Amino acid sequence: MSFSLNLSFSDLLLLLPEIFLTCWLCVVITVDFVSPRLPKERLAYLSVGGLLATLGCLAWFDMNQVSGTLFGNMFVLDRMAIFFKIFILGSTILVILASIEYVDRFTLFRGEYYALVVMSALGMMFMASANDLLSVFVSLEFSTLGFYILVSYLRDDLASNEAGLKFFILGVFAAGLFAYGISLVYGETGKLVFSDMASAPATPGLIIGFLLIFAALGFKIGAVPFHSWIPDTYHGAPTPVTAFLSIAPKGAALAILLRIFIVALGTFKPTWIYLLVAVSIVSMTYGNIVAIAQRNIKRLLAYSGIAQIGNVLIGLAAGTKMGNDAILFYLLAYLFANIGAFAVVIAVSQAIGRDEIEDYRGLGRRSPFLAFSMLLFLLSLAGVPPLAGFIGKLYIFIAAIKEGLYTLITVGLINIVISMYYYLIVVKQMYINEPIDPSPISISGPMKTVIYVGLAGTLAIGIYPQPFTDWVVAATLMFANFVTPAATVMPPSLLIGG
Amino acid sequence: MLEELTAGFPILSCILFLPVVGAIVLWFMDDEDTVRSSALTIALVELALSVFVLLRFIPESAAMQFAERVQWIPALGISYHLAVDGISVLFVGLTAFLTVLVVVYSWDTIRHQVKLYMMCLLALETTTMGVFVSLDLILFFVFWELMLIPSYFMIKLWGGGAERHYAALKFVIYTLLGSVFMLVGIALLDINYHQWASLHHSDHAYSFDLLELITVPIPISQQILIFWLMFLGFAFKAPVFPFHTWLPDALLEGPIGMAVVLAGLKLGTFGFIRFSIPLLPDASKSDTVVMIVMVLGLCAILYGAWMALVQADFRRLLAYSSVSHLGFVVVGLFALNYQGLQGSLLTMINLGFSTAGLFFIAGFLYSRQQTTQLAAFGGMAKQVPLLATFFLIIGLASIGLPGTNGFVGEFLILLGAFEAKWWVGSIAVLGVIFGAAYFLWYYERSMLGPLGSSVRSTMGDLQLREMVIAVSLSIMILWIGLYPSPFLRIMNGSVQALVDRLHHEKTAALDNDMTERR
Repeated sequence: MSFSLNLSFSDLLLLLPEIFLTCWLCVVITVDFVSPRLPKERLAYLSVGGLLATLGCLAWFDMNQVSGTLFGNMFVLDRMAIFFKIFILGSTILVILASIEYVDRFTLFRGEYYALVVMSALGMMFMASANDLLSVFVSLEFSTLGFYILVSYLRDDLASNEAGLKFFILGVFAAGLFAYGISLVYGETGKLVFSDMASAPATPGLIIGFLLIFAALGFKIGAVPFHSWIPDTYHGAPTPVTAFLSIAPKGAALAILLRIFIVALGTFKPTWIYLLVAVSIVSMTYGNIVAIAQRNIKRLLAYSGIAQIGNVLIGLAAGTKMGNDAILFYLLAYLFANIGAFAVVIAVSQAIGRDEIEDYRGLGRRSPFLAFSMLLFLLSLAGVPPLAGFIGKLYIFIAAIKEGLYTLITVGLINIVISMYYYLIVVKQMYINEPIDPSPISISGPMKTVIYVGLAGTLAIGIYPQPFTDWVVAATLMFANFVTPAATVMPPSLLIGG
Repeated sequence: MLEELTAGFPILSCILFLPVVGAIVLWFMDDEDTVRSSALTIALVELALSVFVLLRFIPESAAMQFAERVQWIPALGISYHLAVDGISVLFVGLTAFLTVLVVVYSWDTIRHQVKLYMMCLLALETTTMGVFVSLDLILFFVFWELMLIPSYFMIKLWGGGAERHYAALKFVIYTLLGSVFMLVGIALLDINYHQWASLHHSDHAYSFDLLELITVPIPISQQILIFWLMFLGFAFKAPVFPFHTWLPDALLEGPIGMAVVLAGLKLGTFGFIRFSIPLLPDASKSDTVVMIVMVLGLCAILYGAWMALVQADFRRLLAYSSVSHLGFVVVGLFALNYQGLQGSLLTMINLGFSTAGLFFIAGFLYSRQQTTQLAAFGGMAKQVPLLATFFLIIGLASIGLPGTNGFVGEFLILLGAFEAKWWVGSIAVLGVIFGAAYFLWYYERSMLGPLGSSVRSTMGDLQLREMVIAVSLSIMILWIGLYPSPFLRIMNGSVQALVDRLHHEKTAALDNDMTERR
């Protein structure tokens, strides 16, 4: 494989967001070292500032359709990569804002917390651009490294330590699987870049290799049967980290899954569709049924997250351009609803100190704003119209039904009914039961911002989804060539919303 | 002059969103009396707007009127498309009318969390209106699902029974189960349209618009599949026997206001006549479908009436009588002829007055005795003569005595049923007899005869607010009963168009006719 490092200035432009964020990360760490007396929330705002600047840069890229590849196709910047980077940065910003109060609970290294969050975000940005197996591996491990530390950040809390250890051991195991998968795939094809593999014949080694890689990525997105770390890790980790973990890495890993399944394995769709259908059905059903029995809100959201990933995989199983659009759209809807729900969980746990569902008794009386927000977020997660989640589910189902995946759709729909049950349990606690302690709950400014952003996103995507559908349709345009039936390519009139 | 002023004015959007905007405004009020009077004002304005639409509606026409259409989600072909025709316009008026009455009724019967109650009620009105005026199937589905949320809270927070939590959850889960199947059906319609459109290079790749979907031919096997999927959605909501088990629980445990809306507005059967029959004409008239649905309808008539006969609780009796009446409506609809469809449509409206009216009566009884169990009543006609009189008037309308509205509707249904299949008609007639039996028997035991031992001697007769409700319902009952032609004229055009579409000869003419006009 020829490999050249002749980088021109215009090539570096493609890396500008990452380079900038790396520098900013150094700035944050330095500021933290240089002035230890600085209130830590300043560091939070400093990090958010850098992330916002990066976000602006990416938005500019998106508008001007900047694209290209670097390092012999290892790094690709296309509109889908930009979409996922914006997705990751958006969730990072919201998570940092939601952490500001929570960070006071950490006994040590409060400043480094923000640096680690930004570092993980940086790793995930590389994941969104990774275009060959090596860069996937490196960026995946880079981002996970930050998470290993973040999950066990509550040093004195046994649950947090347990969560960190479980996450670490299983994470390293997944990394091992991944590396083994890469070696098999490389051994069989001699290729690492996804698009080069497209014509490779299906040898047993290649199949095993890809299965291993799928298992490792399944671990990241938390699909059954690779989900066993999720409940304990989500439960034990500091809640903002749980929120972060439940959104951003899933997005980044899905970017990779999309590239692998559509670009590298597009021709094997008739084969892998069974794998995805099976994983999707099991994830949805398992996640939803086990969620019913949960007593802890974080565990409930963990299992509901497993079920949501099952829904996302329906779109991947459809394997069409429309399916991919639906995945991206669904992720956007999920981002706002999930981060919002976790923000409410953080706000409540700041006031009460616990995360049990029964602690939500009478929240409607204690804080109408929090309870109403939680209601909307949960309903959006359940897929009730006209909230974002409904349009997302609809989009995915239409994409799948077009491919004739009726079994999958039926299971998905029955799961909506099941999920409604446990979301309503929380709603019942908030609105029907009387509070034990009727004192009102105060919410800090940044937290309010996060919840407002979540509400705005959930409502805006639900009520006026057109700009978002336009965006996701444009973001997956490059897949149009890889998707088999020509009829699924959108006519141009739809792309401009005509 | 008025013509010019109102042309292009989005009156249906106003009707649709006025209540929910009103509900948001209520949020900022503190005083309970202000909340009550504001809610009443909003409901009255809504009623005025609906009456205006009814007056300006051009009768004897199959056209979609007052249409509004903008793109909503072009990528999926979803549009915001509202319009009324002869099938739906009466329901708009009925919804507004009943909401006013519920607000009046709830004035002093709802004591706690008045603001939240009124907000839920108004939100419920918006979603119900949305179901009636939406022509886009996804928009329709949005309102259809949204209705669950205020309903859930109403049953749970203001329900009287001990089992209300169970009832609310059962209601939500059952209806949701039905509607997810319906959603698959809707998606299949869309995919079918998409395939047809890409073959014919139409510029809309996807569409959920009723008026566009009916222009596309659907293979019969596909039609039958979609029919049953949508049938489940509507049947759970209606509820059609044997999907009715949530209804007695929800009506008994929920507040009277909720029961009035749930039992008075026949959303499920409206779905059949609005979507299933016009969209899937071949499936609707295929022998198997007609046979199964007819048998279900007949079972509902007999089973509902039979169960109503033995109920000791008045609200449970009403719930089963609802099931029985819905059986009539279903039989009339699937007679698939002019009289049957017209009769069913009229009966759906009638039930809005009579069944809802009886629920108000149940409410009046409840506020006097704190229960609707038979044991608490007996010989009350002497104590509360006015209540007993209106009870009788509304009740007789519900069993279809000539001169009341119930007679016109049931008569047309039976006519249609006999014309379609004589045996269906003859079995359905039994339901009328049973209906008279269960109502009159209950009336006799509760109102006539010696004074019941637990009836308080201080019990007062109808108060002003209760009189308003009872009198306005009675007026409507007698009006439709004695002079139904204005109502029939409104629906004639659309019903005729539907019959033509079902019986193919004039399908092409219908497609031209059903295109929008303002």
